[in-house]
Amino acid sequence: MVWLTWRQFRWQAIAAAAFLAVVAIVLGVTGPGLVTRYDQIGLPSCHTACAALAGHYINDLEFTTYGKLFYAGLVVMYLVPALIGIFWGAPLISREFEAGTFRLAWNQSVTRTRWTLGKLGLIGLASVATAGLLSLAISWWASPIDHALSYGQSGSHFLRLSPLVFGARGVAPLAYAAFAFALGVTAGVLIRRAVPAMAVTLVVFAAVQILMATLVQPHLIPPVQATAPFNANTANEVVMTSNGNGPLTMILKGNYSRPGALILSNQTITASGRVFDGPPGHACTANVPQQDCNNWLNSLHLRQLVSYQPASRFWPLQFAETGVYLVLAAGLGALCTWQIRRRRP
Amino acid sequence: MIWLSWRQFRLQAVVAAAALAVVAIALLSTGAHLSALFDSNGLATCRTTCSTDAVNFNNQLKGSTTELIFYGSTFLMYAVPGLIGIFWGAPLVARELESGTFRLAWNQSVTKSRWIAVKLGLIGLAAMATIGLLSLMTSWWASPLYDAAQKGGGNSFSINKIAPPLFGATGIAPVGYAAFAFALGVAAGVLIRRTIPAMAVTLVIFAAVQVVMPLLIQPHLISPARLTAPFNANTANEIMISSPGNTMTVVGNFSGPAAWVLSDETITPSGKVFTGPAGSACLSSTAPPQQCNNWLNSQHLRQLITYQPASRYWPMQWLELAIYLVVAAGLSVLCVWQVRRRRG
Repeated sequence: MVWLTWRQFRWQAIAAAAFLAVVAIVLGVTGPGLVTRYDQIGLPSCHTACAALAGHYINDLEFTTYGKLFYAGLVVMYLVPALIGIFWGAPLISREFEAGTFRLAWNQSVTRTRWTLGKLGLIGLASVATAGLLSLAISWWASPIDHALSYGQSGSHFLRLSPLVFGARGVAPLAYAAFAFALGVTAGVLIRRAVPAMAVTLVVFAAVQILMATLVQPHLIPPVQATAPFNANTANEVVMTSNGNGPLTMILKGNYSRPGALILSNQTITASGRVFDGPPGHACTANVPQQDCNNWLNSLHLRQLVSYQPASRFWPLQFAETGVYLVLAAGLGALCTWQIRRRRP
Repeated sequence: MIWLSWRQFRLQAVVAAAALAVVAIALLSTGAHLSALFDSNGLATCRTTCSTDAVNFNNQLKGSTTELIFYGSTFLMYAVPGLIGIFWGAPLVARELESGTFRLAWNQSVTKSRWIAVKLGLIGLAAMATIGLLSLMTSWWASPLYDAAQKGGGNSFSINKIAPPLFGATGIAPVGYAAFAFALGVAAGVLIRRTIPAMAVTLVIFAAVQVVMPLLIQPHLISPARLTAPFNANTANEIMISSPGNTMTVVGNFSGPAAWVLSDETITPSGKVFTGPAGSACLSSTAPPQQCNNWLNSQHLRQLITYQPASRYWPMQWLELAIYLVVAAGLSVLCVWQVRRRRG
């Protein structure tokens, strides 16, 4: 069974190994340069007020090859699980149906259940290993950038905790690969045709990734709530809008920030606890200096109500995310096995 | 023949139409907010000194969903041609060869050459129309961002349509990518004769071409413009001293109009690239950095910049489209020839 699985999987395994080798060479060659810049700018020995140095480091990288490689690393890390699902998962059993070879495969001394479990287990492990090696290499390469970003403001999309980067670091990609693979196999078993199964795998996987990242991920562990005084002089956003002839409303957003934290919401509330939405005072609508409006806002004693995930939650959130995807993958694996058992050869 | 092509292509066409509809709804529902924000910041009416308005506009967008949609649509513009090549191109002939249905298809009143030519032509046109519509929609949606970048003097929000990655995600170049990806997929299917390997090969070759093209070929399609400017250490982007040998790397600050900067070298009055050695003002640990800057400024260094100006956007787009269409046509001819010479 192990030999058969390997024999049918040979080409895919070679392609994956070659790809991993190319990535390892690119990252191995460029990685030390990234660390050298990090050391030269003095970040390892910095203990207080490192945000300016870190910002300098990031700005220097932005338009260099390093910046492009950073983005490419994110793209590759999201593409690889999807490709595993499409090219390893979906054809695995649907090809046997399509070509009729399942009749031969299921009439050997190995039972159908063992055949399915062997294929699912071995190639599933290969998927997890591929994604794991890739995540290890990319996380190692990007660690100076991730570290420098964590000093800065909470607004960046490229913080380790932000949805965009979170799924491309640590152990979560391993679980994505396992899920994508199981999803591909399931689609193949249910649809029984390889190309449609591949397309369905792609669509479902992309949809699950987007829904998880936007709706589920931030709430896997309840976010921390905090309040802080609102200061109009340092606010991120002070906007006045009028809706046709209706009264002017104001939207305020304070600058609450914790290093490396992911801010989920930041509402400005009045002293009585409701969300402040105006109306703006005379100082804000008249043609007077902006500072007058700021002073008026500060006299209202507004507060910021913030919910966020602190930087220390990275690993707990990673394990929670991994757990969710592994449970989904196991469920799909069981579904495949059950479907194949009950089907007449 | 047209009916047959449509009948076999039905499902793919429905999927593509549904995907386009979803994208259109997402862009329409968020695009209005974006242009309202553009107007409320006074960018629509401003004529001179718009940079503060543009900065305000961009600050309100930083970290918002708009930013994510912008990156997402750019990614989509690169992904869709690849998907067309993989799911429309590669299986087109490979499926017929693999399942043996080519025997039936090639023994009808329609000749083999016409069969393949009509399939290539119709589905190729559908591919180009799909990506063309997508390009129109995303360009419309992002037009406030482009206008703000232009009025703000270039560098805000790091939008630069002349440089990758935006160059290949806007305008008419994606139409060429889709035609090429489709023809590549069909050719891989005809040559490999097995669907899934053909799909994998299509993906790898297309991705490789899309990486190599902007890195190596695109910058030199039109020979780049050159510019020299005096080097000013006070506004330089980078001044680095490496300690063994005291060599210096200095990179000046190019603040021209939006352009795709290909190289930025700092040269000495005699014309060679400046590498130091660093003067004593730069090596002393007690002297303030300004002294090093003054010493650098006294060297009369110049910046030598090669770049593609933003005004070349449309000529380069047409050139890019033409190149990809020629390659796609070549691959199509290869497909027709291969199918013709194969025994039915």
